[in-house]
Formats: sequence, structure tokens, C-alpha cells
Amino acid sequence: MTEQQLMALLPFMVLAAASIVIILLIAFRQGHTVIQVTGFLLMCLVIFAMWYVRGVLPQTIAPLLIVDGFGALFTGLIVFCVLVVGLFSYIYFEEREENPREYYILIFLSTLGAAILTISRHFMSFFIGLELLSISLYALIAYLRTRNNAIEAGIKYLVLAALTSAFLLFGMALIYMETGSMDFAVIAQRLNAAGKSSALFLTGFGVMMVAVGFKLALVPFHLWAADVYQGAPSPVASFIATVSKVGVFAVFLRFCQELHLQNNSAVMMLISAVAILSMISGNILALRQQNLKRLLAYSSIAHFGYLLVAFLPGNNTGVEAAVFYLTAYAITILAAFGIIILLSPGEKDADSLSMYRGLFWDKPFMAIVLTVALLSLAGIPLTAGFIGKFYVLTAGVEQRAWLPVIVLVITSVIGLYYYLRIISTIFADSPVTIQKERSLNQFFYTASYAALVVLTLLLFGIGVMPAVIIQGIKQFLVIDR
Amino acid sequence: MPIQYYIAFAATLFCIGVVGVLTRRNAIIVFMCIELMLNAVNLLLVAFSKMHHAAALAGGGKNVTTGVEGQLFVFFIMVVAAAEVSVGLAIIVMMYRNVHSVDVNFLNRLKN
Amino acid sequence: MGTAQILFWSLTALALISAIMVLVSKNPVYSVLWLIVVFFAISGHYILLNAQFLAIVNLIVYAGAIMVLFLFVIMLMNLNTETEPQKSIWMKFFGVVAGGLLLSFFISFVISSADLKGKSAQLKEGEIGLIKTLGKALFNDYVIPFEIASILFLSAMVGAVVIGKKD
Repeated sequence: MTEQQLMALLPFMVLAAASIVIILLIAFRQGHTVIQVTGFLLMCLVIFAMWYVRGVLPQTIAPLLIVDGFGALFTGLIVFCVLVVGLFSYIYFEEREENPREYYILIFLSTLGAAILTISRHFMSFFIGLELLSISLYALIAYLRTRNNAIEAGIKYLVLAALTSAFLLFGMALIYMETGSMDFAVIAQRLNAAGKSSALFLTGFGVMMVAVGFKLALVPFHLWAADVYQGAPSPVASFIATVSKVGVFAVFLRFCQELHLQNNSAVMMLISAVAILSMISGNILALRQQNLKRLLAYSSIAHFGYLLVAFLPGNNTGVEAAVFYLTAYAITILAAFGIIILLSPGEKDADSLSMYRGLFWDKPFMAIVLTVALLSLAGIPLTAGFIGKFYVLTAGVEQRAWLPVIVLVITSVIGLYYYLRIISTIFADSPVTIQKERSLNQFFYTASYAALVVLTLLLFGIGVMPAVIIQGIKQFLVIDR
Repeated sequence: MPIQYYIAFAATLFCIGVVGVLTRRNAIIVFMCIELMLNAVNLLLVAFSKMHHAAALAGGGKNVTTGVEGQLFVFFIMVVAAAEVSVGLAIIVMMYRNVHSVDVNFLNRLKN
Repeated sequence: MGTAQILFWSLTALALISAIMVLVSKNPVYSVLWLIVVFFAISGHYILLNAQFLAIVNLIVYAGAIMVLFLFVIMLMNLNTETEPQKSIWMKFFGVVAGGLLLSFFISFVISSADLKGKSAQLKEGEIGLIKTLGKALFNDYVIPFEIASILFLSAMVGAVVIGKKD
């Protein structure tokens, strides 16, 4: 391994070292505050390291990894999400008088798994990154093991994740049989040489889709999503909704790009069918939800359906649209979960919709942030969600994928109904049911508020001036091509 | 040995594992069936690795290492399975402490 | 029929019968023991394919470590035939039908696929399964996943401690 390759891996090494630093801090009996602040600074260090190594990219670390603009973009998004999730976690766990020190180790290890996924170009790193992500997630979901049915959510996720990773491996084995290689680039080469895609490869890909669909909570593998979002601690739920999905989506996108699967009509049929099903069932299941966490779960199923439409074209426009959409989605979901976390009273999570009745008259700031987040999820103009959806739509129309595009438009209208229902609840004129006193560390409370303000401003900023972000994404994406 | 035999054998083992996951209610047995499925995949990968190796040898050339990644992948699958089992059993034990059962049908409290 | 063929078929039969026994045993301890038999049969297959390293690792890791862990947990909970929950007969029926459909799909595909014709796995010879070859590849090309696997163990260790610790 050359020096430059080591340099390119620096951010990932810092990420791995972060968990060791936290372990050492625990060994020296430091408190929650120290660990939280150190964790925050370490994540900033990761971002700094990414900026520092930008000159040596792209680097291929044969045979497993490739650190290029694509990977850097997704890793940056992941680390940003972890920064915000980490900040919100402090308030959440202090409120429950837990001493969540090991929590931060697991969060960082899980992030490392997702980051490895974004730079992997080989089945082996794909699998190990995915398992590093999910093994840490098992423990994170069941972290508050005595409350909130967390164990139930943990077991559901555990059994289904283990089952689907067996399917993933079976699919990988079939593709290995067909091509004799596990390297994405070599697989592409051999498939091109063979001329046509064989039944063996298609079966392998279909079986692999089970696992990818499970991790991205696409229909028909979405059954876990609502239960796990509801049972897991809110910061962990926001972590699953953002970091884990971004990581898996990145590697799936890279796999399909390398193999030029967009030219394969059978694969495209499969993906559009999954996209259409996800858009329809996600939105319909969300219609009658009375639980905000479950509603966000169903809404994220629908959003990944939209995202798959951007995936169909397979050219650079599609990738840009997907990255842009993911950025907007991550910011929005983080803002929504941030409100749930800040409003959660001691024992339970504030997930019942009735708790939000008349929120505006009591806590106008939080009500406005939540409203903006919901409007962005619904795709109302001036918010980031609108531009994202518009971009995806353009990518779909360019490809003439009419059926998915039409379903996207119709289901977006259905989606509007339940987002507006929550907003009308927030502004309803009635006594407030959330009672909550604070005797917390004032500093972190202010910091969380500040983070929410930044997220809201970002939502508007991207919504009004998307060109800045799009330019940035384009600059990153040319690094490898 | 023709590769079809290996694929048929591994697919049968894999499907026995799937049937187990679908028909048993004991969380531990369900987890064991998943291990069975992983083993089926392992056998498949080793057989494929030997198949590609034989093909590379037949194509001439000495000291070919074609197929080595298949066997290394199996090694990593075993590593990951061990890690997964340790966390998984910890969660199942915790479930037993909470509800005094390992029956997956007891898991029905999360709903709207 | 040579020795290798006889061994192949007997190991296959042993593995399949034991795998079915894992499912039908009412007592979880018997299930564990049958699963260990499956692992031994699969290790036998590895030896037949001259994958000596994996054969030994399979015995040590799966039959040794993982199954002992399962056995400990089952005995800790004192599970036996009486406590074993049973699914309704219809659920079982649908489970078997679903598995059978998946299997028939795979089998029909193996029979019909033209790509598979004439390909065979090499028995008894070939050097890639030896520790020497695997070790060289593992510590040259594949050293990064090896390191990541160590991080994975760290995460599993922390996770197991976090979940299992006393309050």
C-alpha cells in the first residue's frame, strides 16, 4: 500500500480511532458531557480529514476499496448526519437519566460501517461494511432495553437482518459463479464479454435485491420499518432513517452504475416495480397513522420509492438527482426527529399525534420547525423537498419512465393529505397536552436549538438557491469520471 | 463433481433453513436456521471457488490463485456469523428476562 | 463410482437428513446437536474439495464456538419439549409450501441452465484451499477487510456487553 492510499483512507481511520478514544474516556471514568463534546470534536476532525485529503483523490485501494468523489460525497453526508444525531442524543439520554456512554462507541462503529459501504467496490467490503453497520445497530436499537419495547424492535430487526444477509450472500455466490469475480469492475467486464445477461446473473441480482430492499425498507420488505422506528430510541431511529439508508443506497448505486444495469431491461422492470409499490403502499399506510414515528417510517418508505425513480436513468443526471434528493431528505428527517427528541418527556417518546395538538400556541418555534420539515417532506415549493422531487421528476421524464413518474405525482398528492393533517393538528386551537419541565444542561439545549435553526435554514436555503448545492455535487462527481 | 450437484445441494439446505425460519416460533431455533442458510452459502462459495480454479488450471499456467477470494469470503462470513451470534443471543437472553419466553409470537406490542 | 463419489453422496445425505431433523425436533437441545452434525458433514465436504483451512475453521468456529454458545443459552433458559411453542398446522403448511416453491425454482433453474453444463468443481486436488495460499492472499491483498473484521468484533463485544449487563 502506498502512502497516498493510506492518506486517502485517513478519514476512515479517524472514524475508527474515534471509537477507541471513547472507550479510553470510559475507562478513565469520564462523564456523559465530556464524551459528547469529544465525540462532536472527533466528527469535526473526520470532516477536516476529508478536506485535508481531497488532493490525493481518487485513489483505488485494490482490490476492495475506491476513495473517489462519489464516496467522499456520501461519506460527507453520513458524517454530517451523525454530527446532528449525536448532538440530539445528549438531550434525549439525559432526559431519561440513562448513562449512555457505550452508545457513542456503537454509533461511531456503525457510522464506520456505512462509510465503508460508500467506498466499497467489491462484494467482500460490501458485506463486511453492511454487517458492521447492522451488528452495531442491533445493540443500538435495543439500547434502552427495559423501556419502550426496545427489545421487541431489536429482535425483529435482528432476525430479519440476519435472514436477509443470508439472501444477500446467496445472490453474491450466484453472481460469483457466473463471473468468477467479486470485483464490481471485473464483473462488469465479464458480463459485457458474455454479451447477454444470463438467467443466473438475474437470479443472483434478484436475490441480492431482497437484502438491499430490506435495508432501504422498500416494499415488499418494509414490514420491520414502522415497528423498529417506534421501538428504537428516537436518535437511533433517525440514525436508521439517514445514515444506514444513505450507506446502503450508495453501494447499491455504485454497483448498478459499474455494471450498467440501466441497460438491462429485466433489472429495470424489477426496480420500477419496487419503486411503484413503495410509493403507493408507503403513502397509503401513512394515511391513517396516529403515531408520528410510525408515520415518518411509512413516509420514508415512500421517499425511497421516489428516490428509485431517480435511479432509473443511470446517467450522471440520475446520480446528481439521487444525491440531491438524499441530502434534502436527510436534513428534513433530522429536523423532524429533532423535534420529537426535544419534545419527548422523561419516560415515553413524544410520538402520539394527539400530543402535538395546539403545539403552536405553546412552543411556536418548535411548531414552525416541524411544519417546515413536514412541508419539505410533502414537497411544497420554497423548501428543499420540492427541488429534490422536481429534480427526480426531471430525471425520470428524461428517461421516459412514464409509469413511475405518473405514480410519483399522484402519490405525492396523496402524501400531501397526511402531512397537512399533522400541520392542522399543530395549529389546532386547544389546550396543550405535552407537559415538560427542564432542568437540564442549558448549553446542550441551546446547541440543539441552534442545530434545528441551522437545519431549517438549510431547508430554505437549498429550496431557494439549489444551484449552489448542485454545483458542489457536480464538482465532487467529476473526481472519478 | 458436476457443479449442478453442489448448487442443488446448497439450495436444498438453504430452503430447509427458510422453511425453519417460517415454521418455528422459538427465536433461538429461528436463529439456528439462519446459521444453516449461511452454511449452505459457504459450501456454495467453496464449490464455485474450486470450479473457477479448475478452469484456470485447465487454461494453462502455473501457480494460479484464481478462486482464492471465494474461500477468503467464506472465512469472513464465518467471522461475521460469530459476531452476529454473540450480539443476537445477548438480545434473545434479554427478551427471555423481560417476557420469560423465547416465543416470537409474544412480540406484538408495537403497533398503532 | 469412486471413493470420492461415495463420500460425496453419503455426506450430502447425512447433511440433508440432519438439517431436516433440526426442524422437526421438538426439543431445542436435539436441534442444536443435529445442527452440529450438519456442520460436521459440511466440513467433510470441504475436505473433499481440499479446502483444509476452511474445514478446520468451520469445525472450530461453528461446531465449537457458536454451537456451544447456543447450547449454553438453551440450557440457561431450561428450554425443553414442554416449553417449546408450536405454530398452528396451517402456518407450518404455508411455510413448507413457500420453501418448496423457492426450492423448485432453484432446482428447475439448475436443470435448465445451459451455462452450468460441463462445469465441475475440482475434488481432492488443487492448492488454493491450503493455509499457505490463503494466508498469503489474506495478508497481502485482503488485509483491509481483515482489519475491518477486527473492528466488527469490537462492535460485537461492546454490543453484547451493553445488552447483557446488569443494571
